[in-house]
Amino acid sequence: MTERIKEMKKFFVTDKRQKESWQNKTDQYALARTMTGKSDIDRAAIRLKFVLDNETPVVYPFEKIAFTRTIQTIPELFTEEEMQELSSKFHIHEKGDVCNINVDYSILMKAGFAGTKQKLEALISNSSDERKKHYWSLQIDILDSVLSLMKRYVKKAEETNNITVRDTIEYLLEKPPVTLLQAMQMFRIIHFTMWAGRNYHNTIGRFDQLFYPDYKHDLDCGVLHDSSTLELVEEFCLSFNRDSDLYPGMQQGDNGQSLVLGGYDLDGNDMYNEFSDIAMQASLDLHLIDPKINLRVNSKTPLDRYILGTHMTKQGLGFPQYSNDDVVVKGLIDLGYRPEDAINYVVAACWEFIIPGKAMDIPNIAAFSFAESIRKNTIENLSNVKSFKEFLNLVDMQINKDANALLDSIKEVYIFPAPFITLMIDGAVEKAKDISLGADYNNYGIHGTGIATAVDSLAEIKEHVFDKKDITAEELIKGLETNFESNERMGNILRYDKEKLGNDTESTNTLAAHILSTFAAALKERKNERDGIYRPGTGSAMYYIWHSAELGATPDGRKKGEVIPANYSPSLFSRVDGPVSIIKSFAYPDLTKVINGGPLTIEIHDTVFRNDESIEKVARLIKTYIDLGGHQLQINTVNRDTLLDAQKHPENYRNLIVRVWGWSGYFVELDKCYQDHIIARIELAV
Amino acid sequence: MKSGIIFDIKQFAVFDGPGMRETIFLKGCPLHCPWCHNPEGQIADPMLMVSYAACIHCERCSAVCPSPDDCILCGRCIPECPLGLRRIAGEVITAQELEKRIRKDIDIYKENGGGITLSGGEPLMQHDFIIEFLDRIPDIHKAIETSGYASPEVYDAVYSRLDLIIQDIKIFDTHEHERIIGADNTMILRNAEKLKHGDKPFIIRIPLIPGITDTEKNYSQISSFLQGSRNLMRVELLPYVKAAGAKYQMVGRKYEPVFFNPEQDPVINTEIFEKRNMRCIVL
Repeated sequence: MTERIKEMKKFFVTDKRQKESWQNKTDQYALARTMTGKSDIDRAAIRLKFVLDNETPVVYPFEKIAFTRTIQTIPELFTEEEMQELSSKFHIHEKGDVCNINVDYSILMKAGFAGTKQKLEALISNSSDERKKHYWSLQIDILDSVLSLMKRYVKKAEETNNITVRDTIEYLLEKPPVTLLQAMQMFRIIHFTMWAGRNYHNTIGRFDQLFYPDYKHDLDCGVLHDSSTLELVEEFCLSFNRDSDLYPGMQQGDNGQSLVLGGYDLDGNDMYNEFSDIAMQASLDLHLIDPKINLRVNSKTPLDRYILGTHMTKQGLGFPQYSNDDVVVKGLIDLGYRPEDAINYVVAACWEFIIPGKAMDIPNIAAFSFAESIRKNTIENLSNVKSFKEFLNLVDMQINKDANALLDSIKEVYIFPAPFITLMIDGAVEKAKDISLGADYNNYGIHGTGIATAVDSLAEIKEHVFDKKDITAEELIKGLETNFESNERMGNILRYDKEKLGNDTESTNTLAAHILSTFAAALKERKNERDGIYRPGTGSAMYYIWHSAELGATPDGRKKGEVIPANYSPSLFSRVDGPVSIIKSFAYPDLTKVINGGPLTIEIHDTVFRNDESIEKVARLIKTYIDLGGHQLQINTVNRDTLLDAQKHPENYRNLIVRVWGWSGYFVELDKCYQDHIIARIELAV
Repeated sequence: MKSGIIFDIKQFAVFDGPGMRETIFLKGCPLHCPWCHNPEGQIADPMLMVSYAACIHCERCSAVCPSPDDCILCGRCIPECPLGLRRIAGEVITAQELEKRIRKDIDIYKENGGGITLSGGEPLMQHDFIIEFLDRIPDIHKAIETSGYASPEVYDAVYSRLDLIIQDIKIFDTHEHERIIGADNTMILRNAEKLKHGDKPFIIRIPLIPGITDTEKNYSQISSFLQGSRNLMRVELLPYVKAAGAKYQMVGRKYEPVFFNPEQDPVINTEIFEKRNMRCIVL
C-alpha cells in the first residue's frame, strides 16, 4: 500500500474526516409535502434532482477519484399519510425503492453522460408519444443535474489545485471514459447518483469484466503500469467506504456493495484475468469490509485461486464468498434464464444470483420456514400414520400447501420509479419503461430457512418413532406442545443425537435432498403477478431470527424460540464430526434446483490459517465443496464476539472449534479461564 | 482380530502431516508429561468426561447416578444433562471397523495429498492393534505422532508400515527426562537413531516448556543429535500454551503443572537448527 493510500484510508475509514463536510440533517418529509398531486415518476426525478442540486462539491488534495456525499437526509417521495395509504393498498418491499439489482453500468459508461443526453434528445424529437417524451425529458433533467454537479466539482478541483480530478471530470462532461481513471471516476459518479436517489443495495457486479478494456487500454498506451494500477484500484475500492455511514442497512456493512470476480463463459473459458488479480490484491492490502468480494469458480478452477482467496479469508472479514458456476449457471438456465444471461450472473447484496442489466428480480421477497411446516405436520399427523414413508408424504403435502399460501400472500407489489437507474437497463430507454415496472426477468426469490432444523427433525422422527421405536408419536407430540417439559430426557436425547445434517448420514443427506426438491417442485408450478417465476433458495437473511422467534419446539430437540441456523448450515447445537462431513452433507442435494442462493457457512478458527501449508489445506477444503457440487460457500474465521456469545450460550456453539496448541478443542468444553485466555489472544491476533 | 481403544477421530487435521488428513487418537500413554493437554489420552480405559465449565448445577445427573463415589460408566447421566455436557471418552473398536470408518472419506483426503495420522495418547502402546489396522490400508498415506517410547521390536515393526513419522524429542538428557517425565529416554533416543538412519521422512517435534525443554543445553543437544539426518523434513517447535490444562477438570483431575512456571513464555530458537542446515518452524 502506498503512503497516499494509507493516508486516505486513515482519513476516510479511521478518522472519518469526510463527516466534517456533511450538511445538517433535514426534515425527510419536507420535499414530499411540496409534491402533492405529482406522479410517482415525477417525484422520483424531482427528488434525485433535489439531492444533486443541493450537493456541495468536496475535493481533497490527495485524491484522484472524487465525489463525496455531503447530504445526510435523502428526502422521502411520499408523505407519511400517503405512505400509509400506499402500504394498505400495495405490497411495499423493504423501503419501496429499486434495490438489490445489478444494473449494466457499461450502457451508460460506453455512451457517456453527454452522449446519453443526446440520445434521449433524439428520441424525443423522433417520437409523438407524449408519455415516452415526458419520461425521457425527466431523464434528461436528471442528467443535467449530474452534469451541473460535475461542473461544480471541476470548479472546486481548480480551486483546490487538484488538476487530476479537474481534468478527469472535465473530460467526462463531454465524452465517455477511455482510461481506467476516467472509467472509475465515471463509475463513482454513477454510484453516487444511485445512492442519492436512495437506490440502495445495488451491487457493483462483474468488476473485472467491466473495467478490463480500460485497464488494457492503459497498459497498451503505457498510461499505467502494474503498481500504479494497483494504487488506483485501491483508491477506487476505498471510495466504497466514504459515504457508507450514510447508507441505509441493518448495520454498518450491510450495504450491498459486493462485486464479482472471475467466471466462465459458455464455452468454458476462464474469464478471470490480470485485472481480477489486481482487485484481489487491492482487497488483501486494504483489509476493509467494502467492497465485498465474490469469486466465481467451477470444478476446473485452479487451486492457486482458492489459495489466494484463503489468504483473504484469513483476514477474518468473511469473504471471498465462492459461487460455483457449474451449479449456478445450470440452475438459472433450468429456471428459464437464457444461457447467455445465466452465464453472466452476479451476486446480489448478499448471495442471491441475479442477472445484470436485464432483471427486476426481487430475490428476497419472502421466506419459507421449513421447520414450521415440519412441526405443524408432526403435531397434526404423526399419531395417525403407520410408516415414515406415509408421514413424509404428508410432509410433502404440508410444504406444498404452506409454500402456496406464502406465494398467495405476495401480491400488488409496488416499487418506486427509478428513472436514472433505468438508463442502465438493456432496452429500457427506447421503450421508456421504468425499471420499477419490470425488465426481461421479473422473478421473485423465496428464501428457505431452518433447513437443518427441518431435516434433523425428520431424521429424529424416523430414527426414534419408526426405526428404534423408543419414543412414541404421542410422547413426541406432547413434548412439542409442552416445550419438552413433559419429558426433558427425551428432549435431550433428540437434541444430542448424531442424526443431524452435517454428519454425512444417509438419512439426513437424503432427507435434505428430498425436502429441497419438494420445496422447488411447489414453487415450480406458480407464476407471479409480473409473469415471472418463483425461485427457491437456501438463504435465510434476517428471517432466521424472525422465524426462530415464532417457531415452537421442534422434533430435533430444539426448544421454543431457540435460534435456527442462518442460511444453509448445520444446526447450532448439533455436534458434527467435522468439516469434511459438513461439506459432504451440504453438497449432497441437487442444488441446481434451489438456486436463488444461500451459502453453506462454515467457521474456521483463525489459527488454522497459521502458515502457508495450512492455508493451502483450507483452500483444498473449499475446492472440495465446489467439486462435490456445492453451490455457494462462505467461511468465517472465528471471532471474539462469537466466542463471547458462546460463553453465554454454550449449547448453541457445539461446533465451535478452537486451536489451542498442537491440538484443537471444542471451545465450550474448555474451562472458563482458558476460554478467557483464547478470547484475549484473539484480541491480540490480526 | 485385535480391538483398540480410541478417544477421537478428527477430520481435517491440518498440522498432523502433509495434505488434508484424518487423525485417530488412541487412548493410553506410558509417559506422564506434566504439561500434557490430553488427560483423557493418558488413561487406557474409557472414562466419563464432563464439561464442567458450562455446568448449570441442575443436579439431574446426580439424581440418576447409581454409584456416585465410583463411576461405573453406566452412562445413565448422559441423556439427563440438558446441555449435553457429559460423554464417555473411549471407544472400543476393531481394526476392521476403524478401517471402514476412515474409508468413508478417504478419497477426499487422498485427492488432497493427505491420508491418516495416528496420535494419542501414545499410539505405540496399542501396537498389535495399529499394526493390524495399518496392514489393512496399504493404499493410504500413513503418519504417526509418537513419543517414540516403545521397545525397538515394536517400534521397528510399526515403522516399517508407515510413510511419515512425527516424533517428539522432549528432553535429551536422560536423567532430566526421568526426573520430569518419570521414564528413561534410552528407548526414545534409540528409536530416534532409527529415524536418523532410516529411509523414511520424519519430523521431530519439541514441545517448548519454559525452563525445561527450551534451555540452551537441550536445544544444543537435540540439534547436534539430529545433524546429518538424511530424511529429516524439519523440526517443529510447539510453544507451551497456557490452555494446556483445560481438559483436566473434565476428567475429574486438577491440572498442577510441576517443574515449570506456566506463566512464563518459552524461548524460541529456530536459528540453532537452521545453522546446522535443518528446517525449523514454530507451530
